[in-house]
Amino acid sequence: MSIVEIEGLTFSYSFKEAPVIEDFSFSMKKGEVVGILGQSGSGKSTILRLIAGLEMPVKGNIKIAGKVVVSDNVFIHPEERGVGMVFQDYALFPHMSVRDNILFGLSHMPRSERKLRLDEMLELVQMGNFEKRYPHELSGGQQQRVALARALAPKPNVLLMDEPFSNLDADLKESIREELGIILKKANITCIMVTHDRNDVQAICDYSIVIGESNTNSIVNR
Amino acid sequence: MRTELIKRKIKKEFNGWWLISLIGAVVILLPILFIFSSLFLEPNENWMQIRQYLLKNYVTNTFILVAFTAIFTAILGVTLAWLVAAYDFPLKSFFRWALLLPLSIPTFIAAYTYRTMLGYTGVVQSTLRNHFNYQINPEWLSVSGIGGAVFIFTLFLFPYVYLITRAFLESQSTSYIESARLLGRKPVTVFLKVVLPLSRPAIVGGTVLVFYEVLGDYGVTSYLGIHTISTAIFQTWFGMYDVDSAMRFAAWLMIIIIGIFILERLLRQGRRYHLSNKSRPLVAVKLKGLAGVAAFIYCGVVFLIGFLIPFIQLITWAFMTFDKVWDATFFTLIYQTVYIAVISTGIILILSVVVANVSRSHSYLSVILSKCVTSGYSIPGPIIAIGVLAMFIYLDQWLAPLYSAFGLGEAPLILSLSIVMLIVGYFIRFMATGYNPVEVGFEKVGIRYMEASRMLGKNVTKTFFKVDLPLIKGSIISGFVLTFVEICKELPLALLLRPFNFDTLATKTYQYANDEQIYEASISSLLIIAISILSVIIIQLIGKRVK
Repeated sequence: MSIVEIEGLTFSYSFKEAPVIEDFSFSMKKGEVVGILGQSGSGKSTILRLIAGLEMPVKGNIKIAGKVVVSDNVFIHPEERGVGMVFQDYALFPHMSVRDNILFGLSHMPRSERKLRLDEMLELVQMGNFEKRYPHELSGGQQQRVALARALAPKPNVLLMDEPFSNLDADLKESIREELGIILKKANITCIMVTHDRNDVQAICDYSIVIGESNTNSIVNR
Repeated sequence: MRTELIKRKIKKEFNGWWLISLIGAVVILLPILFIFSSLFLEPNENWMQIRQYLLKNYVTNTFILVAFTAIFTAILGVTLAWLVAAYDFPLKSFFRWALLLPLSIPTFIAAYTYRTMLGYTGVVQSTLRNHFNYQINPEWLSVSGIGGAVFIFTLFLFPYVYLITRAFLESQSTSYIESARLLGRKPVTVFLKVVLPLSRPAIVGGTVLVFYEVLGDYGVTSYLGIHTISTAIFQTWFGMYDVDSAMRFAAWLMIIIIGIFILERLLRQGRRYHLSNKSRPLVAVKLKGLAGVAAFIYCGVVFLIGFLIPFIQLITWAFMTFDKVWDATFFTLIYQTVYIAVISTGIILILSVVVANVSRSHSYLSVILSKCVTSGYSIPGPIIAIGVLAMFIYLDQWLAPLYSAFGLGEAPLILSLSIVMLIVGYFIRFMATGYNPVEVGFEKVGIRYMEASRMLGKNVTKTFFKVDLPLIKGSIISGFVLTFVEICKELPLALLLRPFNFDTLATKTYQYANDEQIYEASISSLLIIAISILSVIIIQLIGKRVK
């Protein structure tokens, strides 16, 4: 069964402008890690934002886990889509500790379960010793791991990652990429990752989609 | 297809936050519409007379007052800003903020203080007479008429121009000024050829604020007996009980305001330089010898006349009348002022936060919305007052069946005699004061945290309380303090819209002054000034902590 199904997706910033994304279709299975490759400005981040519900398409449908989240007459708000996202700049809440950041998305769980999930996540990303720290007290790599733990904690159907390595130093990048690949596989996560670096895709993804400059066609190369 | 898209868009954007914002916008825009509607009514006999005999005089006075004040505040504000920004001289860092202090003295308080101080029995003439046996021609010193008003407005409103121009020069002009200096131009040439043209948008921006203050003034002009459009609104309303004609005056004034607004745009047009983003602070040049002394004297004299002298004069008067004025009724006065200011400020800040949150989407509609709710700032108090009054009288008529159902009598005036009217007036006038800091706060925080929170399953409202509110707390506090002070100082709205027997510090001060009980007015004046200064200090402290 497809976990994410996109059909004929078209998006533009206003009625007057030419579409950034035109007639984009795509589907992926549970547990797959897919990369979206493309030049900057090709609209690849926009695809993530459309799946997340942060932007609205002009046309097209998106289904997540069998449920239509956007179509001609449906729009489900981002908070109701069951989608997790790791932002390019991580967007960790600066006024909350690592612990509170991860707990943020768990308020619907019973208290005892919440604590379990928190510990589970801290262990997954190996940040157990840092739970009382605040985001500004962490390195870039650590912030990324917290952001990942925070996004995964509520058990989203699909995880979206927007240029996950762009904020890291080049020499750190490789080891962190490897680490991330291991975490994703270990947790059996369905993930869509946007990047401009082919090496990211080769290291982590099962396959990738390339969005060309004309961005009218999507090429799938396994 | 398109209609479905719009439907979906509405579903994406529309929520309780929008609804509250729209209600706020309607409350703000309705009184303005009421005023313009008066232009389409048949004018009454009163208006015919006013138009034939008085209107021309009122309009001319208003124009002369505004034009001269604008010229003098611009000269004073820009020269001081340039001195402080570009040069180093004795006590400069003190003058840098002390030159803002004149703004803490409301102009009507300054007017009665100076008029009395320089009058025949005032401290200046009596000292000259008694100690130096010199009789000066009283005419030379009298603060009266348009000249007196321009003097007062200039001295106590120039900080608007000074503040905006100085901020601009200190942060954005460095590379141009340094280039000009390196090219070997003399300081005067640098000022005339580089500084003035570059800072034109800042100067125009500050001067327009002065325009609005002067156009909306009632305190100074009525005290000095000048007939302007604003005072005419009061007279036709309270003197002739002719709300229709008062509204007609307001509509005329409104047209002038719109004219100024367009003029401002024209003056700025084509002057939007691409200014270097890398803002380096301007390195001040040390003024040596006589030049340094001259700069010191210039700033010192402005500070003395614009703040210290009237301030000390008020303190001496306060000592003379303390026992007489400082009693239980005075505490009631403070209580009433704080009470209405806190309620109004609270409402303003809540709506500011709601509208600013909605406006973060930057859609066309939300931009229009934020422009609408902040439009009251450029509308003079008397216009807002008459618009609000007209709206409430209409509302009372409309609610009359309901009133009689509750046994309140046939067609009574319930809302238009209540304190609600004044609160609505403040709300319209000072919405922008509260809104702007909040908007800046939201902009600094950005939308990323909000999006992250929504991706973690929190809706807009929960996101606001858990994520946005803690992050913009500082901006909300500054917005609150600024608005609170403005309301405490406000005169024309309070005079026109307060319920019977309700006084604020400002209205009481005005009453004392108008009854020629000048000394008695000093304590409440000092309180208003103290609140203003205190708020400036609080905001400075918040600013430092945030850094």
